[in-house]
Amino acid sequence: MKTTTHIAIAFAAISVFRAPLPAAAQQELSAEAKAKEVAEAREKRNALNFQNNATTIVFYDRTGKRAGAGVGERAIYDEAVLSPDGSRVAVCIEDLANESADLFVLDAATGMKTRLTTSARTEFVMAPVWSPDGRRIAYVTIRKGQEGIYARAANGQGSEELLYKNPGAFMNLTDWSQDGRFLTFAISDIKGGALYVLPVTGAENGPDRKPVEITHSDLRMFSPRFSPDGRFLSYTVIDKANRADVFVRPVDPAATGEPWKISDGSSGPASWRRDGKELYYLARDQSMMVAEVKTSATFSFSAPKVLFRQQSPVPERIAYISSDGERFLVLPRPRGPQLQQVTIFDRQGQVVQKVGEPGMYGQPSFSPDGRRLLVMQADLQTGQTDLWTIDLASGKRTRLTNDTLPKNGPLWSPDGKYIYYVSLRNGDWPIFRRPSDGSAGEELVYRYTPGAGLNLTDISPDGRFMVCDSGGVILVVPLTGEPASRKEIEFLRDEFTDNVGRLSPDGKFLAFRSDEARPERGEVYVRPFDASTNQPGKGKWQVSKDGVNAMLHWRADGKEIFFRGMNLESNELRVMSADVTTTPTFSVASPKLLFKLPGPLGGNLGNISRDGQKFVFAVNVSANTESK
Amino acid sequence: MRRQILVAFAFVVVLLGGQALAHHNMTALFDFNDRVTLNGTLTKIDWRNPHTYLTIDVQGSAGAAESWQAEGPSPTWFRIRDIGKADFESNLGKTLSVELSRARDKSRSGLIRTITLPGGRVVSACPQNC
Repeated sequence: MKTTTHIAIAFAAISVFRAPLPAAAQQELSAEAKAKEVAEAREKRNALNFQNNATTIVFYDRTGKRAGAGVGERAIYDEAVLSPDGSRVAVCIEDLANESADLFVLDAATGMKTRLTTSARTEFVMAPVWSPDGRRIAYVTIRKGQEGIYARAANGQGSEELLYKNPGAFMNLTDWSQDGRFLTFAISDIKGGALYVLPVTGAENGPDRKPVEITHSDLRMFSPRFSPDGRFLSYTVIDKANRADVFVRPVDPAATGEPWKISDGSSGPASWRRDGKELYYLARDQSMMVAEVKTSATFSFSAPKVLFRQQSPVPERIAYISSDGERFLVLPRPRGPQLQQVTIFDRQGQVVQKVGEPGMYGQPSFSPDGRRLLVMQADLQTGQTDLWTIDLASGKRTRLTNDTLPKNGPLWSPDGKYIYYVSLRNGDWPIFRRPSDGSAGEELVYRYTPGAGLNLTDISPDGRFMVCDSGGVILVVPLTGEPASRKEIEFLRDEFTDNVGRLSPDGKFLAFRSDEARPERGEVYVRPFDASTNQPGKGKWQVSKDGVNAMLHWRADGKEIFFRGMNLESNELRVMSADVTTTPTFSVASPKLLFKLPGPLGGNLGNISRDGQKFVFAVNVSANTESK
Repeated sequence: MRRQILVAFAFVVVLLGGQALAHHNMTALFDFNDRVTLNGTLTKIDWRNPHTYLTIDVQGSAGAAESWQAEGPSPTWFRIRDIGKADFESNLGKTLSVELSRARDKSRSGLIRTITLPGGRVVSACPQNC
């Protein structure tokens, strides 16, 4: 499913110090009451998810200007594909409550909707393609764990026909040939990808028909589309550095020679004009590119040119291009174009300082001395996300990374000299570090199970180990020995999702989030941390009561814990605080609300100064747009 | 659920308070294009993060019992879909059917796609494992 917004609920303070929980706090609720609470929480989460993600459909003309009014009701559209004559749109719409998606056809003029499929819970319809005469739509389903390609009349009449039952997974169906004889799809996974053509007419008809592999690669390949004469395929390849490019090759699997590389970086699939004379794709900087092409005799193309640049300061999602190259179907950002302003607040929620200009920021955090900020910033045009530090007094910015590789969870080392972060490398999530002054490149710190997702959540005050989590298991990684030989120790592994481990300043306790009591929300707990064994000691305290999100943080003197609660009915962010003591043992007072901010705001961990007096967030601000 | 290329604007914003990331890349360990359906006796359950494991004894081609490890989604994944450990514990020693994507190393293990419990209830691990 689409990534959900994670939410918590409002806080009710109780002004007593709580004793350690003897066993499981969830015993307080009956199973029936808990199931009801979970169902209600899910319903609220879905409603908020819809509010934040539902959009309509609009069109750009060939100059990149909006043409006409929006089409269709607000919905969460996964995919939208124009019919050959441009009069209808095949869309896959998510049903959040049912955890499913279904296929509909919208009239592009009136928005009138015709349902084509009805999925059971957790079943999906995706990847619609129109037959060349516009009478049928083929699509991929996942039903009872089985992938299949079906086709049905676009007017919803008659029954659907099973065209192909895939014994595997990850079919990316993207085109139906102009002669109506073939479908084409890609299958890619971590091992690479392949392009296929599936004959859909003739004597070999039936769900057991065999697709023909056109080509394969150890790189991932997506979105094959036939040239109008059916002799060539355009497709997208994503290389090891996560960079996408558009290529063209003959449909003939026996063809030799290198494919033609059309783009110098792309950010989406290519589309052919129906006369076969132009090929379109989105460049990395979100410009709509066009290359003049010829497919007679052999394929040839001219250097791509910019057809238009998006006028919105925050580019919108161009989902499909009409077959005449005149209309561009766009799924606008649901909340309009938004940038973020890095803003520092005091404990009352008053603005102390605005840092730099609005941009696309994430995960700001204070350096240990409070003089610098670390931010992740995405380039507005290319989307490339890099790590930067900003000196708060001078505003001087220092770039730490400059690459297309996804990064996550950057943290300062306790002495402020290094930045630790996770970065995706060939399907793995190793942890690296770099000097925070940008004076040197990265070095590997730790490599976890190949392919496993990993969150870095803390570095011990003495710098001797890191705290991470993966799959709901909290891990401790001693920073001794060679990076390649470092091994994690399981600190907490049970049937609950435990994550976001944060060490107390004296290193004797670990605060963390667990969904033990509330599977749809999670709460903050504290357990003793035995540094000699990296294992939990006896005792367990619940700090929060009404749900938490991220931003779990200890004040430097160990006397206060901060966390964020969010309201299930709104995006409101609640900055919460609880007074705690760690000697002679741990105890906690009831949490209190410090201040609220309008959301949604992404999570981060280090966005509170060590003294607990300043809070930094990347706050949403509206971006001007001339295309509205 | 979206599986189209999300190249544009892959701006990472972590919401650490939410559900856990998948522990490992499923396609690295399991071949989604190589499936097997087992009918056997459920003999053991490991109900912990990051994944649940069912041990299923089936009759091998030579007639001898073969023990298979079936990896499922996390306990939380089941929990928020009203499926609990008890639903499996109550079926220990009984016959069930499970469809797996086989491990790439061809060991007797795989990733659960669907389970049909003795009473006929079908538990789908999709979309997580599909």
